[in-house]
Amino acid sequence: MTVTSAVTTTGMRVSTSRLVHIYRSEGHEVAALSGVDLDVPAGGMVGLLGPSGAGKSTLLNLLAGVFRPSAGKIFVGGLELSAASDRQLDGMRAQDVSLMLQGAHRNLLPYYTPYENVRFAQGAARRAGKDVPDPDEVLDQVGLADDAHEPLASLTPGHLQLAALAVAMAPRPGLLLADEPTSQLDHPARDRVLERMSVVNRELGTTVVLVTHDPDVAAYLPRTITIRDGRVGGEGRSGEEYAVITPDGFLPLPLHIREELAPGTLVRFHRNEDGDFVLLTEEGHHHG
Amino acid sequence: MRFRYRPFQAAVIGLLAALITACAAFAPLYDRAMRQALSDIVIDQTPPALSGLQASAAYTQQGGFGFHEQAPPPPPDVVLSKIPPDLRAHYRDPIAGYTAAVTKNPAGPADPGSNLVWRDGECEHLELVDGVCPSRPGEIVVSEADVDNFGFTTGTTFTVAGIPRNAEGGGHATPTNVHLTVTGVYRQVPSDYWFGLLLTGRSGTTDPLPPNHLQADVWLTSRKTFESRRLPTFPQETSTVALPLDREAVGVDDLLTIGTAIDELEKHPSAISGATVTYLSGMSDLAQNVRDQTDQSRVTVPLLMAQLGLLAVVVLWLVLLAVTEQRRPEVALARLRGRGRRGARRLLAGELLPVALAGVVPGVLLALLGTWFARTAVLPGDAPFELRTPLLYAVLIAVGVLTLVTVLAVVRVSREPVVTLLRRVPPRRTGWSLGVADALVIAGCGGVVVVFATGGLDGPIALAAPGLLAIVVGLVLAHLTTPTAALVGGRLLRGGRVRAGVSVVDAARSPATRRIVAIVTLATALSVFSADALLVGDRNRASAAEQQAGAPVVAEVTGVDVLAVRAALADVDPDGTLATPVVRTVPANNTARVTVAVIPDQFRRIALFPGGGPSDEVWKRLRAPDTAPIALTGEHVDLTLTDSSLRSQRVGGDPQPITFGVDLEVVDTGETLHVALGDIPKPAKTVHLSSDVSCSAGCNLTGIWLGTLPGATMSGHATVGALTTGDDSIPLGPSGQWNGFQDASEGSIQADEGSSPDDFVLRVDGRGASQLSMSQAWVPGQLPALVAGSLPPGSAENRFTLSGLDGEDQPAARAGTIERVPAAAPQTSVVNLDLAERGTELAPTDRVSVWLANEDPALLAEVRDALADHHVRMAAIRKLSDVRESYDESAAAWSLQLAALIGAAALLIALLVLVVSAVSSWRFRTRDLAALRMAGVPRRSIDRMSVVAQLPAVVIGVVAGTAVGLYGAQLALPIVPLFAEDPLVSTLDLDVAWGAVLVAALAALVVLGLGAVLIGRAMARRSELRILREGAL
Repeated sequence: MTVTSAVTTTGMRVSTSRLVHIYRSEGHEVAALSGVDLDVPAGGMVGLLGPSGAGKSTLLNLLAGVFRPSAGKIFVGGLELSAASDRQLDGMRAQDVSLMLQGAHRNLLPYYTPYENVRFAQGAARRAGKDVPDPDEVLDQVGLADDAHEPLASLTPGHLQLAALAVAMAPRPGLLLADEPTSQLDHPARDRVLERMSVVNRELGTTVVLVTHDPDVAAYLPRTITIRDGRVGGEGRSGEEYAVITPDGFLPLPLHIREELAPGTLVRFHRNEDGDFVLLTEEGHHHG
Repeated sequence: MRFRYRPFQAAVIGLLAALITACAAFAPLYDRAMRQALSDIVIDQTPPALSGLQASAAYTQQGGFGFHEQAPPPPPDVVLSKIPPDLRAHYRDPIAGYTAAVTKNPAGPADPGSNLVWRDGECEHLELVDGVCPSRPGEIVVSEADVDNFGFTTGTTFTVAGIPRNAEGGGHATPTNVHLTVTGVYRQVPSDYWFGLLLTGRSGTTDPLPPNHLQADVWLTSRKTFESRRLPTFPQETSTVALPLDREAVGVDDLLTIGTAIDELEKHPSAISGATVTYLSGMSDLAQNVRDQTDQSRVTVPLLMAQLGLLAVVVLWLVLLAVTEQRRPEVALARLRGRGRRGARRLLAGELLPVALAGVVPGVLLALLGTWFARTAVLPGDAPFELRTPLLYAVLIAVGVLTLVTVLAVVRVSREPVVTLLRRVPPRRTGWSLGVADALVIAGCGGVVVVFATGGLDGPIALAAPGLLAIVVGLVLAHLTTPTAALVGGRLLRGGRVRAGVSVVDAARSPATRRIVAIVTLATALSVFSADALLVGDRNRASAAEQQAGAPVVAEVTGVDVLAVRAALADVDPDGTLATPVVRTVPANNTARVTVAVIPDQFRRIALFPGGGPSDEVWKRLRAPDTAPIALTGEHVDLTLTDSSLRSQRVGGDPQPITFGVDLEVVDTGETLHVALGDIPKPAKTVHLSSDVSCSAGCNLTGIWLGTLPGATMSGHATVGALTTGDDSIPLGPSGQWNGFQDASEGSIQADEGSSPDDFVLRVDGRGASQLSMSQAWVPGQLPALVAGSLPPGSAENRFTLSGLDGEDQPAARAGTIERVPAAAPQTSVVNLDLAERGTELAPTDRVSVWLANEDPALLAEVRDALADHHVRMAAIRKLSDVRESYDESAAAWSLQLAALIGAAALLIALLVLVVSAVSSWRFRTRDLAALRMAGVPRRSIDRMSVVAQLPAVVIGVVAGTAVGLYGAQLALPIVPLFAEDPLVSTLDLDVAWGAVLVAALAALVVLGLGAVLIGRAMARRSELRILREGAL
């Protein structure tokens, strides 16, 4: 399926630098993110993976300007979010960045139809002077043209999620942030939602960052970033898992390596004849 | 569209908005209706002479002894022109007239004087018994009594004197006589036309004013008698114009306008060519009465309505908080879509404000409906329904309040950070903490209450003090309840009491708990306060009515023949259980002490004593002494004194005979006889005294007296033997039968023991008194009296002087105190009628009345007939029910009747809060209960837990609300006007009406408790396991 639109979208680049976010919980300070460096090019599609509590949703909310970072910098397009005013953040959310919350219902005004929801979501952008597409067009793009004027209560969970996607895409944002967009969906519905998001990314150039737990979803994405213990723990590209060296030179070991190497183990890198780096322990074991 | 999604919430908000509007709109509507009813009653109950306006013009005498060559007063038409047209518009067609005072020549004692009167259209309001109506100058018609008394008949002619005319050349004035010819005999047809003028009733009586000539009834004449140039002006000739009030067309505003206009006329009397124009109308006082009562209603109506409005506003606020809380995800969505805080506000306000404002129209309709009901069921009269500017102001205020409350609730949520809004469960406090808003409310309301309680506040804010106090207590209690419940619940759980623990923890977790505690406290307080105010008002009106009426029926009788009255009552009610006579002296001035003479045993049974009367023991102190009177029968008495050393000396030393006399009381009539038996010129061994007396039907010897010239002394003693009448010899001894008299300035007269029990020695020591007397012991020397108020100045210990039934000062002794004497002034003494009338004759000014124990018309008729049989006529009748009605038909009473409505409405609002709380929190509560069910807790236990979770909050609220309502009533009731005008004798009793309080508290407990139980059961029924699955989706 091809998306055609009179309204063009320019994907936005997203980057973070040494991003730290600390929140208070029951009197204690908890570091949700402790130095995340991330770079998603404009028009990219990235999945954020990681165990519960790793900080994925926190990172997503930071990218949406919902949270303010405790330290570090976030750039969305040309805007440095940690220094942006509330008005700038409102403007950004109105036109450029859409956040899809987990659970379709949370993205929709219950008393509106999909059409009205999309129209409501375009309101701020329209007032700001942005050229936004017709709600029918948006709904058509996500495959909900037939249900545009149905009450939400009559839609299936899959269609509700598509409606949520339509609402998120209503102002033609440059960045779409989605928190578990396929959770609570059956496989056909999940695939349909992913396919629509992929199309949006591909056809409209919208940068997509989504959080998921689902390995199938991760496998579907061209790039995944694993967040672990508040840091970028690895990155997957086209099905291959990589460790990522941080700007200050640290290399978080993949989980299965960490299970083999006890803390305190001495290692060194060795370049072999093929030019590849080999990790050697003090005892002479090596990991390729 | 959005309203349809949540119809219940919209309905609740709309309902509360309607209630707030109704509270605001009802106050001016009810106030207006009360004023209209009040003016209707006032006008209806006022005689035409007072409700109408009478203007009179006359020349007043300006010095000198004679009056002559006086111009006639200006004609009535001219007098009428002095009344402003605006004022005249409120009256019907004027009735012109003339009056003058004339006396039949030659004006001797037997020549009657009369008022010569002409009134326009008079003959249409007369029944002519004989002859024709006067039409020519000098023609008159007279009453039937004048025909009987003065022999006037049709055709009789006589002359009366007019004003003398000055003689030409300045000589003596020429008398001018006017011939009056009787053309007919009239009988007055009573009607409003006469403005209360009684044409008859004076014929044959003597004018009390000098020269005390005989009076005739009014002589009605023609206009020409006054306006003919041939006839002179008459003495005191006055032209009048009477304007009957157009009662149907006069509303409350007109009444006030008329009152003010007449006030102005009376303050600035006008003159026409030197003749003074005076105005007579009661409208000024009536208007003031309406104004005063209206002012009172402006205290009570807002006091009650403001508190109900306050409750509705608080409830609306809480409902809006719950509603906006529920909208948090929507607000978050608006913020995420870049709408900012303003956009979020618009989203919420766009939904809630129209719903709130939509309640305004039904609120106004509700107020109109309530007013219609009040007009139909509560208020008398049928004044037209009016929609006036104050209603508009009230509606605008309601709109303002609704807008403000809604906007505040909207702003509260929309200003929250997006991150907070995005949380699935809003942060809640389970420990003790106080939000800024709550702290401000508690501090503000508490401050007002404290200032009010310490007497530093009055006016409109003071009226809301009970409500504000309830808010303070409710909020504090609400904040305490949650942490306390959490603590208690935790302990119960740790102690293994799972069911109770879970219930209490559930209550602690629920945000509705605080809400319920606060609102139930406020509603119960309002309910209790209203019930107390209603009943205290009712009780005070009942007490005031009882005090004013004195007894269920009090019938004044004409004349002072108390013996006849007693005889009549003995025929009807020999035991004195249904009717009793009461004699009251009329004080010389308002501050003088009144004496009320009663038959104690009967009076204490029949009279009404609001708040309780004296004990039987106290009443017994009024009993008559156990001494028999000295009775005698005959027409001649003889008395012999022996061993008399009695002598009297004049100032110069010359001897003066002493007159010896006795006081007798005729048994049948009560008439007293002061009889001199003879003179004692000098000391003698034996002195025979005798005199004729009118005692053929029997007399009581009530006293012995000695008289001499003023200033002369008296001294000596004599032995007084038996009194003989015909063959009867009546011993006057022993000395104990006599009350001696001793006074430092006047001297003394005493009875000492004689040689035998049948006689006594009379000793006298007069120091200038012309008469010294001593009374027989049957006649009390000092009247025992129950005293209300303080003793008069000059009283020594318990001895004082009261006004006897004969109008003379009577020594008395305070036998006890009485808080209030029924139907009497504050300074009143109650004496035993049997004692008080001994040896005295009632003064003509005394008032005799018959008090009846019930309003049975048959009893009244029986008493009336019995009195008639004894030639006593019943005059005015005062019934307790009538007096009570006069108290009940007042703005003060009508205002308080609102309390019943307020109390019921408060409970219904609280019930609504319970329902709203349940509806807004049912999802998570039913999920919790379903989780318990999943964990294997039996259904019955879950039912019980669900019920118990709400009930404690309701019970705490009811208990606290009852206490607050009681205290609020103590605070506010002193400023609530209970009467249109404070009664002369205060029976004010602001003690708690415990019955009403108990009923109100029980009603709150039953209504709200039952509501909580039903809601709890409904929750438990909905806690199916599928709820858990729905929650997971």
